[in-house]
Amino acid sequence: MALTLGLFARLKLRFLANSLRGKGWRIAGFVMGCVAGGWFAVVGGIVFALTGVDRGPAFTLLIPAFGGATVVLGWLFIPLVWAGVDETLDPARFALLPLPRRTLIGGLLVAALLGVPALATLVATAGLVVGAAARGGVVAAVVQLGGSGLALVLCVALSRSLTSAFASLLRARRTRDLAAVVLALLAALLGPLQIGIVTALQSTGVDRLVRPAQVLGWTPLAAPYLVGMDVAEGRWLAAAGRLVLTAVAVVLLLWWWSRTLPSAMLGAASGSGPVRSGRVAGGPTAQLYPRIIGWLPRTAYGALIAREARYWWRDARRRANLITLTAIGVFLPVLGTLGATSFGSAGTRSPGPPTFAIALVGSLAAVMLANQFGFDGSAYASHVIVGVPGRLELRARAVGYSLYVVPILVVIAVIVGVLSRHPGQLAVTLGALLAVYGTGLAVNVIVSVLAAYSLPETSNPFAVKTGTGMTKSLFALVAMVGAVLAALPVLIGAALLTGAWSWVMLPIGAAYGAVLAALGIEIAADRLDRRAPELLAAVSPER
Amino acid sequence: MLGAAPGAAPSRMIVGQVQPSTRPPVALRNLLSDLADRVGYGQVVTAEAVPALALRGLVKRFDAKLAVAGIDLEVPAGSFFGLLGPNGAGKTTTLSMSVGLLRPDAGRAVVLGHDVWSDPVEAKRRLGVLPDGVRLFDRLSGAELLAYTGLLRGMDPAVVDRRARELLDVLALGDAGRTLVIDYSAGMRKKIGLACALLHAPRLLVLDEPFEAVDPVSGSLIRDILARYVSGGGTVVFASHVMEVVERLCSHVAILAEGAIKTVGTLDQVRGGRDLEDVFVEVVGGRTATGQELSWL
Repeated sequence: MALTLGLFARLKLRFLANSLRGKGWRIAGFVMGCVAGGWFAVVGGIVFALTGVDRGPAFTLLIPAFGGATVVLGWLFIPLVWAGVDETLDPARFALLPLPRRTLIGGLLVAALLGVPALATLVATAGLVVGAAARGGVVAAVVQLGGSGLALVLCVALSRSLTSAFASLLRARRTRDLAAVVLALLAALLGPLQIGIVTALQSTGVDRLVRPAQVLGWTPLAAPYLVGMDVAEGRWLAAAGRLVLTAVAVVLLLWWWSRTLPSAMLGAASGSGPVRSGRVAGGPTAQLYPRIIGWLPRTAYGALIAREARYWWRDARRRANLITLTAIGVFLPVLGTLGATSFGSAGTRSPGPPTFAIALVGSLAAVMLANQFGFDGSAYASHVIVGVPGRLELRARAVGYSLYVVPILVVIAVIVGVLSRHPGQLAVTLGALLAVYGTGLAVNVIVSVLAAYSLPETSNPFAVKTGTGMTKSLFALVAMVGAVLAALPVLIGAALLTGAWSWVMLPIGAAYGAVLAALGIEIAADRLDRRAPELLAAVSPER
Repeated sequence: MLGAAPGAAPSRMIVGQVQPSTRPPVALRNLLSDLADRVGYGQVVTAEAVPALALRGLVKRFDAKLAVAGIDLEVPAGSFFGLLGPNGAGKTTTLSMSVGLLRPDAGRAVVLGHDVWSDPVEAKRRLGVLPDGVRLFDRLSGAELLAYTGLLRGMDPAVVDRRARELLDVLALGDAGRTLVIDYSAGMRKKIGLACALLHAPRLLVLDEPFEAVDPVSGSLIRDILARYVSGGGTVVFASHVMEVVERLCSHVAILAEGAIKTVGTLDQVRGGRDLEDVFVEVVGGRTATGQELSWL
């Protein structure tokens, strides 16, 4: 068993080394990942080490409880909604080997533990060990070391089992709608979390936080991070209880993960759904167009839009992105609005639109296109063979995606308008959203042509390659900041203009966004025409 | 019509390859005559003078490895050209560079007088490609994919509908109905890929391993279609390492190994009265087993 685990570990490291060999930009991405991880490790470590400074509950209880919960939740949400999981060791590759499932799970877990995020987390939580040593000596430190290690396993098992479960749900046509709903709810959980944080920041009283922290300490979210302090303060039983609780959670998660493995191991080979026979009304060209956009012209442009529209729903990877966006997109501005009315400047003047949430949602919507060619992978070859003009291609892609996004943005604006009880808000919000979305399109269309990367052809829509998670996040972050900066004039206008004049923001914002998006497409189209084969090579998975 | 270009295809077609027992159905005959009409159009002037595909000094290097080391090749219009070679010889790389999927480090690829890299619009209009190891837009159904490809090529929707239906019928893909291409079997995927390449009636077909993973029935169907296509004045270039297929179909053969052309000529020239497989092994220089290895098997 130990030997096999060692093999998995060496396999993972070998994959990592080979993926970096001779690829300048990948090494750069990896180094940036290490830097970011190191930064997180150091800052986190310092914060956690503060537990050793003082005996007040702010240090001994609140830091480990809330800090630990943040770490665990980060492992839960970030792969799901943002970075994806590093599935270098795709379970499907082990399908033919005579490995017991228990060994396979162990091996995959070990492989998942070998990575920058896991290492950074371990270093950060080592701060707790330092704190425990300062307060309770060697024994407390050793116990906390065990707790931190267990917590890391918990984090990895949590993120793996969850993405794997969602992947298998999204794969099956029968359950994918259910998965969509659950995913949306989970993303929506970010909302209450945000409320909690806002409330916590508003009520500066530490005492009011002690109670929730104590409760949190008896959930797997924070339990493993408190054991060192328990020992230092002589609560041996509590420490043991928390460790057992965490261990049980880990075992349950691993069991859950192993349940979803068979479906993941069948992998892409089993992508087959039912043979849907039966004649369809209309000729082939009529079938290509979804009914709702059936009026589009039967030209290359119309066909591209129709295909994009179909793909945003039929491709599990794209659909997962779309669902996440919808969930976040609806909840963030709602909370922003509620937050603005219940706290802060409410009452003194009519509240402005939730500008920050608008900027975030608008740019997040556009950032989904940052690797739009990566979604297609080598299928993009068909466009290169035909020689689709870059301008046509990019315009159609933007329109096809907007068919989904613009209605979502309208819904968001309506909700904000209703909640804030100022109908004028609707126009301002929608105008600002469209402006940010438009500038985001401009930035991301350019990014998608210049910085495309290939996605692994597994059946897990959350999977990314080693190192690309960091690169992806970096590009996405740059693109989002760029989009918000470009839309700043409209955002400022939206924040300042109130009353009757606010309706002006709708046409202004929409026009601003449309013009900038068109501009970005012009710039990117030229590049695309010149480097289509290179783009194809970039998005084709290496074999 | 103009289908029979003077002195072009018919003489090169290997008579007798199309077995009488596999007579194509009416739909197939209609489709093929349709394709032949389109293909033959305008060929009167160019058939003799301009090669269907001309490669001049193509070079491609991947990192340290020289994948294609300067290939010169001329594919006469109306020929059925087989590109043979062992695994890793550079067949796919060469074909990718010929059709504009991969930018060569040096050299040119000219399709019927139009350079693929400097005059891509005209070259790609005349070109139908079935790449290997490349995905299709496989979350569309077969009919949707054909419609998409046709419209992308700027074809008239009515023509797209008619030809797509015929192709689906002929290739026995009509029964798949709304099944997505991703759920097709490997052989069905090859067939739908071929249909996409044929849809706009190109004058040059470039096929990478068209018979891989195809069952014998579909294989003979594809052979029929290709033979008819060539007899109508079209040109086929295909890469393969299946000797038997090449021997039965091709009028011309080139053997590629280690990124360079080792032998090229008409099938009879290359064979020189021997078995093609023997010639291939000799040219490529494979090792022969002595019988001592793998004794544990």
